[in-house]
Amino acid sequence: MGSVLSTTPLSFTAFQELQTRSRSWLTFCGTQASMAARARRLCLRVFVVFFSPDSEQYHLSFYTEQILSKPLQKPDFFRLSELVSLKDLFHARVHLGHKKGCRHRLMVPYLYGCRLDQDIIDLDQTMEHLQLALNFTAHVAYRGGIILFVSRRRQFGHLVESTAKDCGEYAHTRYWRGGLLTNSSIQYGKGVRLPDVIVLLSTLNNVFQQHLAIRDAAKMNIPTVGVVDSNCNPSLVTYPVPGNDDTPAAMELYCRLFKMAINRAKEKRRQMEILQILSSSSTRKS
Amino acid sequence: MAALCKVVSRFRCGVWSFRFIRNCSGTSGSDQPAADAPRSGFAAAFDLQSELRREAERTAAGGSSSSSGQQEDFASLLRRSPLVQMGPAKGRTVVGRIFHVVQDDLYVDFGGKFHCVIQRPEGEEGLRRGSRVFLRLQDLELTARFLGANTDTTLLEAQADLLTQLDSKITENKVY
Repeated sequence: MGSVLSTTPLSFTAFQELQTRSRSWLTFCGTQASMAARARRLCLRVFVVFFSPDSEQYHLSFYTEQILSKPLQKPDFFRLSELVSLKDLFHARVHLGHKKGCRHRLMVPYLYGCRLDQDIIDLDQTMEHLQLALNFTAHVAYRGGIILFVSRRRQFGHLVESTAKDCGEYAHTRYWRGGLLTNSSIQYGKGVRLPDVIVLLSTLNNVFQQHLAIRDAAKMNIPTVGVVDSNCNPSLVTYPVPGNDDTPAAMELYCRLFKMAINRAKEKRRQMEILQILSSSSTRKS
Repeated sequence: MAALCKVVSRFRCGVWSFRFIRNCSGTSGSDQPAADAPRSGFAAAFDLQSELRREAERTAAGGSSSSSGQQEDFASLLRRSPLVQMGPAKGRTVVGRIFHVVQDDLYVDFGGKFHCVIQRPEGEEGLRRGSRVFLRLQDLELTARFLGANTDTTLLEAQADLLTQLDSKITENKVY
């Protein structure tokens, strides 16, 4: 495959042939390859093909730097603000909180008010926090990071797992063993790669206890994105998103948004890499 | 069918213009043109329908509904929502849809934050997943503060009584 790339003259028409050839090679490798693994293999291919111990190595790091720094120049590079509107959040019942007696004192700044003993979450704040959270998750996915979806709500376990499967990332919706993050090298062997961001679709284990992932991720310096309801503690969550986590409509909305953001980011990364291959080989030819 | 509609509309337009000309000729002596006189009958209905159609096209093209005077901010959405307009939930009748069935337990979603679980009444076998029912709400969320606790304990469920099964022709009442 490396020899094919170095000898084939890369014109615009041959580019599609290159794409199909690399895709078929990857499917030959393994039909169960997730999108993340495929993206990483494509990265690897770029490095393998263009590696040579001369000044080309400088060009290689220059190109990867370009790929990595370009999304950081714009505030909304992946245009995620067009994914969700305030009306969508309202119709998905994201603004409904628990009763007044269940309120956590640290959630008071995120509440719009209390109507007949039911807390109402301020959707203007939720919109801002949700944009930040989606943007952050998309950037992590762009850079090939591992995203772990965590939720201990049995009602939405299947939904979370299928969301993770659809965007090529990971999910943990079962019993959280104590040393999963903090004792990973002993429990799961050395050299285990921990997630780069943990997305919590419900921050509570049951109504009395917070999920252990929040505390453990904070200990291991892993940023967390979490949907916090009016009875949750938002302190240790890096990107809290105040919103309803009990209604199926709201949970389906969150899952859809995160899936779309991650897929967009990965697609963008693939496009940027293919563009770089094209431009670098054309500059080398000239 | 489309050709027939076109013929009919052209005929109607012809009739309307004919009536307009007749009015003009009838009141040619007066200063006011016939357009300022209060329309009645078909002319009034035609004006109303064309105005509505123009309005619909404008809102469809414009995107936001600022022309109709309705605001899209959270405060007005909340104020106009059926949940707030309903008031206290105790004793209110709502329409719910069954989304899960476990033997005799029916899980009904009526548009609030939580669902409610009701027992299937004896002999009622027509209630299955997707069927709509009338409910009388008791509480939107079952919570209670127990002795020695900091916060309320919540059951993550609403409470409602089953009234009757809804006829399929009536549309669902959204409560949120």
